[in-house]
Amino acid sequence: MSDPAIILDSLEKWFPPALSGWRAFLQPFTPPTTPALHGISLTVKQGEAVALLGANGAGKTTLLRILATVLLPTRGAATLAGHDTVRESAAVRRQIGYHAGSDLGFYARLTGRQNLLFFGRLNHLSDEFSASRIQNLSERFGMLGALDRQARALSSGTIQRFSLIRALLHQPKVLLLDEPTRSLDALAAADFRHFLKTDVLARKDTSLLFASHTMQEIELLADRVAILDEGKLLAFDTPTALRAGTLSSSLEEAFARLTGRRLQSAGESTTE
Amino acid sequence: MRRILQDIFLFFQRDLRIASTYRSPFILETVEALFGAAMFYYVARFVDSPALREALPQGKTYFAYSLAGFVFFDYLNAALDTFDRSLLEARDAGTLEPLLVTQVSLPVILIGSAFYPFAATMLRIAVYLGWAAAFFSFPLGAANWPAVFAVLLATLLAFSGLGVLSAAYLLLFKRGNPAKWFILGVSSVTGGMLFPVGILPPWLQIVAHLNPVTYAMDAMRGALLNGEGILSHGRPLLVLLAFAAVILPSSVVIFSWALRRTKVTGTLTHR
Repeated sequence: MSDPAIILDSLEKWFPPALSGWRAFLQPFTPPTTPALHGISLTVKQGEAVALLGANGAGKTTLLRILATVLLPTRGAATLAGHDTVRESAAVRRQIGYHAGSDLGFYARLTGRQNLLFFGRLNHLSDEFSASRIQNLSERFGMLGALDRQARALSSGTIQRFSLIRALLHQPKVLLLDEPTRSLDALAAADFRHFLKTDVLARKDTSLLFASHTMQEIELLADRVAILDEGKLLAFDTPTALRAGTLSSSLEEAFARLTGRRLQSAGESTTE
Repeated sequence: MRRILQDIFLFFQRDLRIASTYRSPFILETVEALFGAAMFYYVARFVDSPALREALPQGKTYFAYSLAGFVFFDYLNAALDTFDRSLLEARDAGTLEPLLVTQVSLPVILIGSAFYPFAATMLRIAVYLGWAAAFFSFPLGAANWPAVFAVLLATLLAFSGLGVLSAAYLLLFKRGNPAKWFILGVSSVTGGMLFPVGILPPWLQIVAHLNPVTYAMDAMRGALLNGEGILSHGRPLLVLLAFAAVILPSSVVIFSWALRRTKVTGTLTHR
């Protein structure tokens, strides 16, 4: 049996409180007192798609950023493709495609193609390989018309699709996507989910860990769902088992029963 | 090593491509340099006197003396400024996080991103000196170019460590460049940019002798204006290299610590 794609072992993350005024000079040296993740343990198998579901502030982005090596955990360990995210961060970065969920992150004066080629080169891909992948993925997402326009002239949805192409460019073993369809229109979002399902996950050689507030997306893509609330892992199971275990008719209802919250459309939640 | 150099070149290529999308700044800067050179020329004519020429330790005219000091300060500013400015730009444009998840490490990202601004500064200096030589008889023909480049390299090694320290400060505190403020502020008085340090009161002369900028400035003027060779600048070059030997490794250690700290506090990409 192959090794898991991701192993989280009692992972904890605490942040220092935000200081203002003259005390802001003490910020870098302030001990962390605000919990963001509490002892998360879970495993993502190779080729598996796992959704992170939780209200804003539940710890989804923090978890993804630890795996992307841009944050260090306070305690516990995170292993990705057999590499520790702290001690072997360079090896981890070779295996991941990361989409931060932002519609920033591109050079405004460069075209979409120039931006993607630049990031391809930083991932040590050959120009031939990058150019061919950029062409294919752009064609697949109907983005050929935008490819040679400067990023400053593109809509946030188009930038986000370029960001997703950037995450996929080097055919990573593990995809870490933070709200991948947040800025996309309904058709583009459906098309991207279909692409992930049929072109990426069906091959079973890429694992996907994604944060989402869209139940339809989670139902379509996720083999298992990790429900987070205030940094705690409340449940981790298949959508069917989560519904059955909470006697719910939908994943949204299961989430509400487990967390005592109700999801709203923009990802905000209210405590019931 | 070859891979690192290739990665550094990628950033230069990126910045060159971005710069080429703006047409007018280069033309405006070229014209500005002409007016700048003219200003130094006419100020020098206004203050010129046999007594002043006698007082100048290097350079035949105050024009050559002051313009050499000015362009050297521009170079020094670039050494102190480019690392933290490139980090600031990446952070504010939102490209820092995507860069950090590539195969390239942050030190290489910083060095690579500093390369183009540095080359642009060198070009600006060349344009300044070119105008000055073409229209105002700046004695460019007297320069000993190998010695000039040796001094520039030693200065870069000595002061880019302070630039890296500034980048570390920016990582931790998000705004400000105290190294640039302190070095350029102190050196504008004690570094001998526009006047010889000999006219300063004794206690400021002590500061000037402790300031590596003074040595770099002397060596630069000697090589550029008087054609002095590398061997004539053994002492200033040794001072600069000794300064670099202390500052560069320390700055790398402090920067690594600051980077780790921001990954702990979660403020790496915060503004």
